Amino acid sequence: MKNLNSVFAAYLIAWGVFFIYYVSVARRAAALKDELERLKSSLNQSANRSK
Amino acid sequence: MKKNALGAAVVVLLLACAAYAAFFIAPTDAKQGVVYRIIFLHVPSAETGLVSFFICFIANVAYVLKRQPKWDWMGIAAAEVGLAFTTVCLITGPIWAKPIWGIWWTWDARLTSTAVLWLLYVAYLMLRTLIEEPERRALLSALFGIFAFIDVPLVFGSIRWWRTQHPQPVIMGGPGSGLDPTMKAVLFFCWAPMLALMILLMHSRYRLEAMRGDLDVVRREAEAA
Amino acid sequence: MSLLANTGVLLGKELRTEFRSRELLMTTVVFILMVIVLFSFTFDPSSSEARRFGGGLLWLAFLFAASLMLQPCFLREQTNDTLSALRLAVSDPFAILLAKLVANTLFLLVTELLMLPVFAVLYNLAVLPVFGQLLLVFFLGSLGVSIAGTALSAISAQARMRELLLPLLLLPLLTPVLVASTQVTAGLLDVEPFIQWKGIGFLAVFDLVFLTALWLFGEYLLEE
Repeated sequence: MKNLNSVFAAYLIAWGVFFIYYVSVARRAAALKDELERLKSSLNQSANRSK
Repeated sequence: MKKNALGAAVVVLLLACAAYAAFFIAPTDAKQGVVYRIIFLHVPSAETGLVSFFICFIANVAYVLKRQPKWDWMGIAAAEVGLAFTTVCLITGPIWAKPIWGIWWTWDARLTSTAVLWLLYVAYLMLRTLIEEPERRALLSALFGIFAFIDVPLVFGSIRWWRTQHPQPVIMGGPGSGLDPTMKAVLFFCWAPMLALMILLMHSRYRLEAMRGDLDVVRREAEAA
Repeated sequence: MSLLANTGVLLGKELRTEFRSRELLMTTVVFILMVIVLFSFTFDPSSSEARRFGGGLLWLAFLFAASLMLQPCFLREQTNDTLSALRLAVSDPFAILLAKLVANTLFLLVTELLMLPVFAVLYNLAVLPVFGQLLLVFFLGSLGVSIAGTALSAISAQARMRELLLPLLLLPLLTPVLVASTQVTAGLLDVEPFIQWKGIGFLAVFDLVFLTALWLFGEYLLEE
């Protein structure tokens, strides 16, 4: 079966593109979530201190 | 988190089923042999890309009329995901063409139009990176997104007319031409997992943008405090 | 005042501003001339080749020129902060856009018609017999370029790197105009000239669609 390599390459590259995109979004989301938690807790701390 | 993991698992399963159908259920093509099986990736990703861009268009119109940030988040998510699918279409096209025609690119009408579509939405993303103020960025990119989408049928139409003036090898004769009924069924079946993947990717990108919006709000509160 | 009356007044202002200095027209004409001359080095400029590539190179030159010429359209208003004054002066903001796009179409047409004889001489192409039809395709094509260009100029004026951004946004959007105009022009420059009404139709549809879009969404382009 000639050209089977092309078919495999196409599928691998396609799934690769989607996987990389998904992972990059997930990573940025995790980093953002950490930042959000950090800011929220520091806000709470300063709110407690001023009480 | 759990819901996300479950959703991702479902999508992976659907994609695996689609791949199985593409490799084992669809018969081998008499003329093209095994290579034509790329169609089960190439065509659904093109169509899913267009669906994403349509969703982007709806979100853009909604933002211009309602000015709620969620429509802006939807717009950027749909545009990026649409671009991912369009990229896959543009990569699988040449991988298909090379073994059959011996050349990577044939200026086939559909592929050329898809390339212009890709450029349009790359421009959309570039525009967004060049405007800092969030509301201005949302409004102006929404307006460009609207113009870009209404251009799409004109791009496809004019390029198809152009190619009839100068016939060139066509990667695929048209959605249904010369396709065996089993192939058609598998092609249709392969679209659903792509749409599911689109929803999964859009959902996670939307949430990322929503979090950014929240972060801005919290940052402003922190500065005020 | 009605939309047309407002547009007329603003159009007069646009034309007077430009004809006072003529710097935009002159620079655009020279730019197109340079592109036409430079293009001749990229292929064998014999008659048959010129007939094959002439339409394309002419429209490519027009498109590049337009993407530069449309920059000052809204930048001018920004630097002088006149946009808010304009908005107050008219009841319908579409008048501002209409005036600008008519002015831009006129400027483009003038530069194209100035360049046509130069192009015909340099590439030995007969343009007089088909002048009327060429005028039609130049008009419809330039109108399309202006409509899209005016809208995108309003967008890019509010972003960074606007000199690079406008062509980046405009050129992919104008693909249908390039394709249709080139086809029609190539047909008109052929040994046996013929007019492709389908191409003219495409241009007319493009113009109509984008004019409608500009009418529907234009006021948001001008928001402060």
